[in-house]
Amino acid sequence: MLLFRGPHWDRGLTPDQLQQAMDKVMAWFEGLNEGGKIKSAQPLGAQGRIISGTNGRFVLDGPFAESKEAVGGYLVLHAANLNEAVEIARSMPTLSYGVSVEVRPILAECPIFQQHPDLVQRARERAVQAEQLWVAAAA
Amino acid sequence: MSTTSTAKSDYLLLFRGNVWDRGLSPAQLQKVVSDWMAWFERLKAEGKCVGGHPLEDEGKVISGKQRAVADGPFAESKEAIGGYFYLQVADENEAIEIAKQCPGLEYGAAVEVRPVADECSIKQRAQEYSPGQLAEATA
Repeated sequence: MLLFRGPHWDRGLTPDQLQQAMDKVMAWFEGLNEGGKIKSAQPLGAQGRIISGTNGRFVLDGPFAESKEAVGGYLVLHAANLNEAVEIARSMPTLSYGVSVEVRPILAECPIFQQHPDLVQRARERAVQAEQLWVAAAA
Repeated sequence: MSTTSTAKSDYLLLFRGNVWDRGLSPAQLQKVVSDWMAWFERLKAEGKCVGGHPLEDEGKVISGKQRAVADGPFAESKEAIGGYFYLQVADENEAIEIAKQCPGLEYGAAVEVRPVADECSIKQRAQEYSPGQLAEATA
């Protein structure tokens, strides 16, 4: 998964520069897409919320708008390994304008869960029971 | 960069914090693992969560014109993104209510709720500069 950080890379560019950058981004994306490398990709809206605290009692407007760390979108790649994903990330045109790209392997299972396989096994049995109840309730 | 739109709205939940399990007793950990899996299975059965994955702690960050590759600062961070759910729900309020149910919240995890955009906001801004040109370039 590529996470694009710094959603305001267009600030300070002239219309011509922005046009060129957009053309490069679209060509980059289409090239990956035609190569079958893209599983899914979406930009994210600038607005949002951060939920924290027990039972989610703190709901804050996200500090997304002005942050260089803010995630502006993501792209899930079909890549053979981390190296290929990193090479694809390095070919991303907007790096030149200050965007950074975080490259993260997607896991089948949570690393916290992996450390406790016995707990997960028990939880999975309960989850299957719970799902059956929910499916039965929905039917 | 997809332009698909549906009657329901798409939201991404980004789970932040990847060390919140430290210091939990086995019983607490059992409960949170069990609750988390039941939560995910229920949301899937209800059709509200259409995908979700944990992310590996290891990763890379690429930035700058030189395309410098650094090891990601993910291992010990409260801000690090540990995984995500892709929701299809009625509106932002429903996404926030679901986020508030996250079992990790009482242990210090935070959930970022972000609308999935149909179109990149920079592309929208670029179109304000030069609608004709950009439509041609991206057609």
